[in-house]
Amino acid sequence: MGRLTRTLVVLLAVAAMAFGAAESDFHIPFEKYKLQNGMRVVLSRDTAVPVIALYVIYDVGARSEEKGRTGFAHLFEHMMFEGSANIKKGEHFKYVQANGGVMNGSTHPDYTDYFETMPSNKLSLALWLESDRMRSLAITPENLKNQQEAVKQERRLSFDNQPYSTAIVDNWPKLTFGNFQSSHSLIGSFEDLEAASVDDVAKFFKTYYAPNNAVVVIAGDFEIGDAKKLVQQYFGNIPAQPPPQRPDMTEPVRAEGKMETVSDQHARVPGVIVGWPAPKKHSAEWYALGMLDAVLTGGQSCRLQLDLVKGRQSVLQYQANPGWPFASFNDFKDPGDYAAFLLYKPNYRPEQIVDQLQQEIDKIGTAGVPDAELARVKALLRYSKVTSLQSSLGRAQLLGQYELLDGKPEMVDSDFTNLFAVTGSQIQAVAKKYLTAARRDVLVIQPAPPSQAPAGAKEGGK
Amino acid sequence: MNYRSLSYLLLAAALPLAAQTVDLTKPPVSKDPRPYKLPPVSESKLPNGLTILLAEDNRFPLVTSRLVFLAGNKRDPKEIPGLAASVATMLMQGTSSHDYQQIAEDLDSLGGVMAATTGADSLNIEASVLSENFDRMLALVSDVARNAIFPAPELDLHKQNRKQTLMAQHAQPAFLANEEYRKVLFGDTPYGHVGPTAESIDKLDRKALEDFRDTYLVPNNAYLILVGKLPARAQLMKTITAQFGSWEQKKVPAYVAPKVPESKRELVLVDRPGSVQADMRLGKIGATYNDADYFPENVGSTIEGGGPNSRLFLDIREKRGFAYDVHTEVAALADAGTFSTVTQVRNEVVGEALQGILDHLDRMAKEPVERQELSEAKSYSNGVFLLSMEPQRGLADRLVQMKVMNQPKNYLETYTTKINSVEPDQIESAAKKYMATDNDAIVVVGDAAAIEKPLEKFGTVRVVKPAQ
Repeated sequence: MGRLTRTLVVLLAVAAMAFGAAESDFHIPFEKYKLQNGMRVVLSRDTAVPVIALYVIYDVGARSEEKGRTGFAHLFEHMMFEGSANIKKGEHFKYVQANGGVMNGSTHPDYTDYFETMPSNKLSLALWLESDRMRSLAITPENLKNQQEAVKQERRLSFDNQPYSTAIVDNWPKLTFGNFQSSHSLIGSFEDLEAASVDDVAKFFKTYYAPNNAVVVIAGDFEIGDAKKLVQQYFGNIPAQPPPQRPDMTEPVRAEGKMETVSDQHARVPGVIVGWPAPKKHSAEWYALGMLDAVLTGGQSCRLQLDLVKGRQSVLQYQANPGWPFASFNDFKDPGDYAAFLLYKPNYRPEQIVDQLQQEIDKIGTAGVPDAELARVKALLRYSKVTSLQSSLGRAQLLGQYELLDGKPEMVDSDFTNLFAVTGSQIQAVAKKYLTAARRDVLVIQPAPPSQAPAGAKEGGK
Repeated sequence: MNYRSLSYLLLAAALPLAAQTVDLTKPPVSKDPRPYKLPPVSESKLPNGLTILLAEDNRFPLVTSRLVFLAGNKRDPKEIPGLAASVATMLMQGTSSHDYQQIAEDLDSLGGVMAATTGADSLNIEASVLSENFDRMLALVSDVARNAIFPAPELDLHKQNRKQTLMAQHAQPAFLANEEYRKVLFGDTPYGHVGPTAESIDKLDRKALEDFRDTYLVPNNAYLILVGKLPARAQLMKTITAQFGSWEQKKVPAYVAPKVPESKRELVLVDRPGSVQADMRLGKIGATYNDADYFPENVGSTIEGGGPNSRLFLDIREKRGFAYDVHTEVAALADAGTFSTVTQVRNEVVGEALQGILDHLDRMAKEPVERQELSEAKSYSNGVFLLSMEPQRGLADRLVQMKVMNQPKNYLETYTTKINSVEPDQIESAAKKYMATDNDAIVVVGDAAAIEKPLEKFGTVRVVKPAQ
């Protein structure tokens, strides 16, 4: 199963809010502890609807991949649904669905996650399913072959056959990052996907899919005592492994920003990606960048909507967030970026669109953000916190991501507290210092003339 | 005495073991499910005919609002397909007292979102907001519903942008497939179009928008649905009356659904040069929610193509590796539904994959489903229903559906019972009607040069160019 991320699914939707979390008068209770094998556990009880979400998140993602194995983290995610010691191939789906649940997995730049959402009396079943594959994944040549085909098919479906997507997954990271860990294609090339061996899969499993490299979250309708007992029963005796070596993700020193153009045979409306390297995550400047993004692209009255879509009438749709395209505000490791993707009217040249966006940012760099505008953005943030925490799964995801990446589930609240504390002058300063024309990378996506031969499709599907 | 101490000893010896070991080779036995009771929904009507549905949900400081009009795309005039959707978009672009910027700034400052959307049967002003600002949000909903003025510059911009977004939609194979599929199934009846054409966008003017609004966006053709942390009832009714009470009712032209064309085997290939795979959508007319065989069709669809435990997924994707996604869809509309199968396969296996899918569908119409897969499908449907109730919009959107589809008042309470009562023979006869493939429409979007040949064995292939 699994998608690379949710981002591309809504590619053409106007991004409403870039954030996924928290606010001051609405708190999520949780308790966290660690098993002897190093597995971290977070429990968050809420009995309103008799459902539970089990969320398992591993500290490995596309940015953990080695050269020659692009796309491997995602291919491995598929292997996790192919059976284990006590659950035969295909049975994972069956157990979840036949018991009234839904499940999925997804691969991100810095983590991979798996979840089941089920009626609450099925908690032990969900724990059995997740623990069995953590303990004893079935790694066979047949399963690998089958999932290599499924992933290649997913690449065709979600990227090669869609407008903009190939440029976003293959070209943009390469343009804006210098270190292989960040600059390679997250979905991977057909060549690399085919080169993956059963040994690679076994090694990856042992290295990264160990209890001490995972966080397990249960959210919803359960008793804390019962859950602790069950977690111990199912996961307690899975042996720990040596901690994985983490790749060096340091970016080389950057020269001036770059501008490139790609021709897209599927696009009919031109698009442009504009991005900048971001300040260190969780620094004061980082939160200021989050608020700057909200001023530019959040809600109906943001700058891009009022000035570019309505005012100049040059931009058709836009989306942007810190971490774009494959991460959200909260769910990646440094180094990060801030990027915007705009579709624009064909009577404009891409340089004009980039200039217009830059002028919007420079305006904030010069004049700051009026109080009333900042208040609006903060009201929207409060709304965003409440809505993102309505479901058990939403709560489990955020708690798990914060525990895995930061060791602090409480950041579900404190990240928002920090955003609320940002002042207009901090936003002004970060616009001036970070989002400058000199530091900017630009990727123009031009619709190919109709007659042009297919460009991106190297393989054509053999 | 002896007896008692013996039993005590046995118990003591057994307990620690039971606490520590668990049989990992078998799925654990579940406790009984904890029952869930839907929040009560109260229904009332203002004197002007506006129907009001209210449900308390105090879990979050949030209110979800839906103002729904029975005025969807099916009410588009024949010469302006897409009009209802343009009316929806333009409602937000200016009213007699607020321009776009004021509406947008008000909305954002409340901590809320609002959007007007259309489906085939309804136009829906959807909003949700932090509960402390509920009154002000309701005032905004009322303003855009009642007082939109469709300013000329905003309409010009809408027309320009809609043409561009239509082009962007036509770059997406799934959109092309759905657009053509609806055309093939419904011909020139109102469900035959999903949106505008470049020509119909040119025809939009203020008068057309106003006519549509004044005809259909009236209180006696609308439902106001509020779910969330609501003010006390008397206060709430006062607020609702203040916002909507003076809205004048008006007779709405009756709608008589035209007869839907007979389904017949038709094979259309939308040529998209350079496609590296074929997007397929096939099927025919299905049940409405109120047809007796809707539930059998629905449960049958779950067995056939509803999620990763379904027959199609396990065979076409997992066993044969033809596709990443393959699923069936039951889309019940108010006057007619569709039953469809959707997949995207690589060019080399188009013929094999299509044959595999047709065989599966025909088997449903010929053989009863197994008891085991039937009970699994029922659990799944009931579980998904429960899961959908977690976010507040879950109940709100179910209530919208109840009203637009004219479902009985106890629809939600009896949903699970109706799912559970479906029998294999009912699925088989529903499948004969809705799944058997001899008269299926088959729409494929892909590179005609690569895939036309293998499609020919399924019928006469009509190749069309995608609209601009």
